[in-house]
Amino acid sequence: MPGPLDGVRVFDLTLWMVGPWASTQLGALGADVIHIEQPSIDPRTLGAGVPPTINGTSIGYMTWNQNKRGLFLDLKSAADRQTAYELLQTCDVFLINMRPGAAERMGVGYEQVKAVNPDIIYTAITGWGEVGPMRDKPGADVQAQYFTGFWSVSGAEGGRPEVYRHMAQIDATTGNVAAQAVLMGLLARKRTGKGQRIHVGMLRAGMALQSGRIAEYLSTGDLHQPQGSAAFATAPDQAFQCQWGDWIGVSVTSEDEWQRFAAVMRESEAEVEGIDDLATDPRWSTNRDRVARRTELATMLQAGFFQRPRHYWMLRLSAAGVPCGYPISFETLQHHAQAIENHYLREVETSGWGNVWTGGAPWEFSRTSARWFGACLPGEHTGEILDELAARRATADEPTPVIGD
Amino acid sequence: MPGPLDGFRVVEIAEGVAGPYTAMSLGDAGSDVIKIEPPQGDRSRGWAPSLDSASPVFRTLNRSKRGIVLDWSSEQDIETARRLLAQADVAVVDKYGLPPELGWERLNAPGLVYCAISGFGPQGPWADRPASELGTQMASEATSSLGNLGEPPVRHGSDIGSVFAANNAIQAICAALYARDDSDPSNPTGGQRVEVSLFGSLIAMRSTLWVALSNPDEWWGFHLDSYVKPPDHGYQCRDLPIYFSLARIRGEAFDSLIDELGMDWAREHPDYEKLRTDGAGGAGRYAAELKPLWERGFANFNADRVMEIVERHGGWAFPMHDYERLSNDPQVAAVGAIIDLEQSDGSLMSQIAPPWDFEGTPVPTPTRPVPKLGEHQSEVLRELSPNATPPKIGT
Repeated sequence: MPGPLDGVRVFDLTLWMVGPWASTQLGALGADVIHIEQPSIDPRTLGAGVPPTINGTSIGYMTWNQNKRGLFLDLKSAADRQTAYELLQTCDVFLINMRPGAAERMGVGYEQVKAVNPDIIYTAITGWGEVGPMRDKPGADVQAQYFTGFWSVSGAEGGRPEVYRHMAQIDATTGNVAAQAVLMGLLARKRTGKGQRIHVGMLRAGMALQSGRIAEYLSTGDLHQPQGSAAFATAPDQAFQCQWGDWIGVSVTSEDEWQRFAAVMRESEAEVEGIDDLATDPRWSTNRDRVARRTELATMLQAGFFQRPRHYWMLRLSAAGVPCGYPISFETLQHHAQAIENHYLREVETSGWGNVWTGGAPWEFSRTSARWFGACLPGEHTGEILDELAARRATADEPTPVIGD
Repeated sequence: MPGPLDGFRVVEIAEGVAGPYTAMSLGDAGSDVIKIEPPQGDRSRGWAPSLDSASPVFRTLNRSKRGIVLDWSSEQDIETARRLLAQADVAVVDKYGLPPELGWERLNAPGLVYCAISGFGPQGPWADRPASELGTQMASEATSSLGNLGEPPVRHGSDIGSVFAANNAIQAICAALYARDDSDPSNPTGGQRVEVSLFGSLIAMRSTLWVALSNPDEWWGFHLDSYVKPPDHGYQCRDLPIYFSLARIRGEAFDSLIDELGMDWAREHPDYEKLRTDGAGGAGRYAAELKPLWERGFANFNADRVMEIVERHGGWAFPMHDYERLSNDPQVAAVGAIIDLEQSDGSLMSQIAPPWDFEGTPVPTPTRPVPKLGEHQSEVLRELSPNATPPKIGT
């Protein structure tokens, strides 16, 4: 069964990460994504040159351009621009992530594209927004992490806040939010019959990712200080060290779970004063009581956890329906049944870089399957796509209108 | 002008962050969202801090919805939920105690897009394991990008796994709605079940890392050494930390930068060549070892001054905001990232705005505050009566 976006075609004029990740999602959902690169592209600059490389190409490029076909077009050349307009007539979606004004200069601003294809869902992605004093500043993940306070709520207990050392989380979040917007635009077009222009920016997408923590600050005026593995809103909800030194993450997020957790602790017969009476001790009556006395509670629980191995706790807590988990490294994860059977991690073939491991489609559809395939080479499908356009031209009733610059 | 999802009806049976965030977004975009809570309410009502009896998380993630209460110990309430789902376009469910009668296979709703959100995904040995933000951050190794090797684990303080899952759920729901056959608007067909999980979403978001680990030409770059680097607190200036990178500052511009920062002493330092050429700031190859040099220079200036000097020389510099400085930043105001939503008691609560701008079908600023427990019970049940006109679908 083809994917849910079967029949949708995307003109993908994106670069670096945010835009390419949005179209990677649309491709996985079944859209025919045509990724445009300049024929003169220096391969060392693909994917913003983010290290490391595989066979000389940034891993950024080959992560963010999966599920696509590659087409070379030089939008500075009149002939190629005409090809672009012809291709745009066959497209449902236009995606671009460049600074405000760049699209217009390349002849693919909204008005220019709309003149060719009024039904198009035209989606522009920016870093900081289309207005305001920062609109022309460059935006990438690391800047967005720092600027939006994404760094400010994590860190060792009692230490300074620290940056998340995987610089792709807000990039990819913005890409996902842009893909959502495209899908909503397609749904609206089903109803209204009309295309439209959409904008998504990293600043607002990155802030939306932090909706809960930012709302807590805005409501109370209190800035969270780092507290290691412990949650701010719930307790106990943190990592504990077990016998033999392994860590387990345990989350009690409702009063039901607290009662079940208390029973597990009591039945463990760990020798810690008060651990048998968690369910009835008035100090721990509600989540808010437990959050207010989090350190006191955690100290007692830590003494209990240290008396049994992690496997004991995983068995007992899981059976009691108390959420728990533990750290797993990549070497284990890539062969872990939970990751493999859900296709969350997979190995894909590529044309230029051998087989690579990658995250897979994060969805499972019961009827219209998602798909996932390796990144295209820049321009890899140029001949094939131009042939399709030629075939279409041969059977078209009307010539493609020539658009002035 | 109605939002892009005007006309769709969503039924949410979910608690906490992932499910409610999903349904909030669908509601912000114009859907009619009905949230079903258990008699004791969504667990996140009781999270900290308390804000007039409901937490800020609850008050944010449950706007743009109507609320009713159903009790799964009552067969009649389960039947009510079945009928609500049968009249809906979308169901958003999680696994907090959902009765089996409300599973996808048991519903006779051919047009329904049924989105189930789980911790670890529908297949595999952990499919039924209870899950949380922390447990999935740890299992997906997302916590390895924080803290120090050999020290206690550090979680990301935001609910990243839950919101990543929500963002994926929104995509899946919209895609499935798009694939549905609406040729008879009052009787759509071709619905389906879609599954997303926190674990799978966290893994997908770390894809650059998995590709980097496949077979790199050379073992370097932040996608590999992020595991072993020490915590990064930014570049501390006299007053505040900043992010900075040289970008393309080279040659004379670099000399001038060093002069203006009063870092003449650095020219004698054995690492001076690295300082000249490692342009990537905190992501650079030698960032951790060079940072003390930069910070020694930056200590003599306030952050604003350092950023001005760096940018004038052609580098990049950004403030490192906490939420207080972020919420006061003029750019945040310019793009309308924070909205004030009137609560049912008339007070205003500041929240984060929906992240999309639709020119043709604008998303209105949210106006519907979180429902009180069971606030819309009679209104929603009245609409459900057999004589009532079924809600229009997708029109």
